[in-house]
Amino acid sequence: MSKFAFNSISEAFTMQSLNGQNHGLYVWSVLAIVFFTLLITFLVYKYKLKKISKKIK
Amino acid sequence: MKPQRKRRLTTVFLILISSAFGSFLIIKALDTNLDFFFTPSELYSQNIPDNKRIKVGGMVLEGSVKRDKTNIIFEITDYKNSITVNFNGIVPDLFQEGSGVVVLGYMNKDVILAEEVLAKHDENYMPPNLEIEK
Amino acid sequence: MIKKFIHQFASPKTYLFQVTRAYPYIFVISILIYIISIFWGLFLTPEDFVQGNSYRIIYLHVPASFISQALYGGMAIASAIFLIWKVKLSAYLVKSIAPIGAMTTFIALISGSIWGIPTWGTWWAWDARIVSTLILFIMYLGLISLHDSFANYEKADKFLAVLVLVGSVNIPIIKMSVEWWSTLHQSASITISDKPTIDPSMLYPLFGSMIGFTGIVVCLVILSSKLHIFVREKNKSWIKDYV
Repeated sequence: MSKFAFNSISEAFTMQSLNGQNHGLYVWSVLAIVFFTLLITFLVYKYKLKKISKKIK
Repeated sequence: MKPQRKRRLTTVFLILISSAFGSFLIIKALDTNLDFFFTPSELYSQNIPDNKRIKVGGMVLEGSVKRDKTNIIFEITDYKNSITVNFNGIVPDLFQEGSGVVVLGYMNKDVILAEEVLAKHDENYMPPNLEIEK
Repeated sequence: MIKKFIHQFASPKTYLFQVTRAYPYIFVISILIYIISIFWGLFLTPEDFVQGNSYRIIYLHVPASFISQALYGGMAIASAIFLIWKVKLSAYLVKSIAPIGAMTTFIALISGSIWGIPTWGTWWAWDARIVSTLILFIMYLGLISLHDSFANYEKADKFLAVLVLVGSVNIPIIKMSVEWWSTLHQSASITISDKPTIDPSMLYPLFGSMIGFTGIVVCLVILSSKLHIFVREKNKSWIKDYV
């Protein structure tokens, strides 16, 4: 592993690139979308399995 | 293998082959209509009418970029032929001399009046300091 | 002996018991690998010389795109097995993979769109790679609604399997779209034949994120197939004992 690419938390938040553009918004929103999509999918299946288990019993 | 299974196996193969052949024909038919981009050389070899919207792709010729307020004039090259592009608007961050570009617009007296300029990057990823060392 | 083993595993009952036992291990290990790789990719790798920090989306986009194609491949193989050998379990799997595939294709499309804004300068282009992936997404949705529209499960299974096989031509098209046509999307960075065109410092977390994400998706397929087995076999006595 190499060293941290950012010096502080606020730098990691904005993710300013060498050309001066801030890319944090793009990277963080993709991360949020992936996280919530996975979370919701897991929760939906857990809920459906619970419901059908009750019905079978 | 049981003869019944063998028959089903043949059916599966038939489905695969026929759908592959079908889509091959569709792609072949669409090939000329879909708007994939032209290179400058292809542009010169295929007479394109002035009022047709086209896509042209290639590299931004080094030293050709001229900016005038929001107007930008540059040349797209495939290192054999090149064509001048006139664009009024904001170019993407990755737009720079010597990098890939795709423009959408109309031909007008051997100049492309661009409506949209997109930056194309390649499949190489590396840290900035390594690039300087090269 | 092999035949007996296959027959045993091909029964929904054995499958259910085996995957339920394996599930917690796969879940914990893949979540750990995924979180470490994403953290590594987002904060410990250097920025790219052209794309800057926006390239970090690769660690979220590539695993999802890879898996959405791999899942379709899995569905096609399961469909062929079902059509030839009439293995019921593989029909169940075809039906259970479809929604998970739709979910990962959704992630691939959205993350690709957001990545396009800072790099290409547009969030959408009618590009061969993007259009073929959109077709894959629509195909997943179509297969789900098709299976649901049948009243008779046996008929639905057969129809679904045939359609999955017909649609499988799209997978090589997605794969080769960046080679066959001049597209805005760049060519593949990781190929079987050539050296990767990604610097090693950026490559290792990418592999990690792909492995981790695959594991997470396997967990979701297990949950999904469990649900479908419950639906299909709810009148069997062993299901009542299992629940």
